[in-house]
Amino acid sequence: MDDLSFRKAVYAEPFTKDAAVIEAAKQDPKKQAFWDEIKQMENELKEAMHIPVPENLAEKLILRQSLDNHTQVKKQRPWYIALAASVMFASVLSVYMFSKGSGNFQDDVFAHMSHVNAEVMKGQQVDLAAMNNKLATFNGSISDEIGEVVSANYCYLNTIKSLHLIIKGENGLTSLFVVPDSITDSVGETFSNASYKGASFLLESAKVIIVGDSESAVNEMKSKAQQALSFSA
Amino acid sequence: MGNISDEATVLSDMNTKQNRYEALVRALHADIYRYAVWLIKDKSIAEDVVQETFLRAWKSLDSLKDEAAAKAWLITILRRENARRFERKQFDTVDIDDVSISDPVAHSEDSMEHREVRMAIASLSEEYREPLTLQIIMGYSGDEIAQQLNLNKNTVMTRLFRARNQLKEILTKQMNYGERANG
Repeated sequence: MDDLSFRKAVYAEPFTKDAAVIEAAKQDPKKQAFWDEIKQMENELKEAMHIPVPENLAEKLILRQSLDNHTQVKKQRPWYIALAASVMFASVLSVYMFSKGSGNFQDDVFAHMSHVNAEVMKGQQVDLAAMNNKLATFNGSISDEIGEVVSANYCYLNTIKSLHLIIKGENGLTSLFVVPDSITDSVGETFSNASYKGASFLLESAKVIIVGDSESAVNEMKSKAQQALSFSA
Repeated sequence: MGNISDEATVLSDMNTKQNRYEALVRALHADIYRYAVWLIKDKSIAEDVVQETFLRAWKSLDSLKDEAAAKAWLITILRRENARRFERKQFDTVDIDDVSISDPVAHSEDSMEHREVRMAIASLSEEYREPLTLQIIMGYSGDEIAQQLNLNKNTVMTRLFRARNQLKEILTKQMNYGERANG
């Protein structure tokens, strides 16, 4: 093997196992010395190139993926949420329109339960300040003892303005309506239909109506509401 | 019952994908990061590109059929992400070759020799630096480098030869200068 071919082979692959290169080095101490030199340089290159990797890079890469996964799920929401919301809106509207003349106050309360899921799917959490702002209409205030509130919106129950809170509890979702105490007689202390149980009670200067899936959920929310809500005249 | 078992299958598929991804990250992130730093010559940009690379890898993990090909697959994604960076930032990127005189990967605890060797490597042009990185960091053979970079093997071997030949010259010069300065 001539000198140039030997150099080329060794430079291209310092730890080559090529028989011709090994043989050439055996024959020629100069070639062997050159090869040793290149091997030593190669070790230095290897050490210098193995730079330290930032701490926690692996964790960051895994975290970034799960965050992105999460936002993707969120981003995918709008089209079907929008669809669900408009279906809900149409059905609530029609229930409202058709029942307005004949229906009573309780039916209206149940009608409002139909958009609970659509509200919840928005995945929001309402902060205390926003709720207190809305409760001010009823001279009321609320504390965080109420639990996780996922929606707080004004709505009309048989033309009476009310504030509808949807609260996440241990037993699922419960609705709480705040209405003026003037409607005392329009709704019974307890009431129910095929899907929901309800209760209403006076709390200082306001009337509070609670609707949930079960009696225990309603009672649980009732005692929470009595702790968390207060109304001044 | 059918629903429950479907759900279980979906969940276990998700777990499998998550497990595969985490295994991929743990096994290859260090080599991929080093490769990125030597390709890009800027640690923080390299880290960003590595993040993008693994994010894309996650999104198309199902297309990786053979775990043995994972390294080559990630390198391909990384090279594409790096190219994309130039398309994106065509107008506001400083030409990296113009600023690479300093050590791209300086560490305070480094020995002087390491710093000199690294500066020498960084001074190589990309067509020499990249195959050298694949060979040294990734442990690739000439054939594997040729396949990864879509070059023929002779071209790869010539570039590796020139890369080390240039490094030898630079380092020898530095050593001689050092000896003169000391002597």
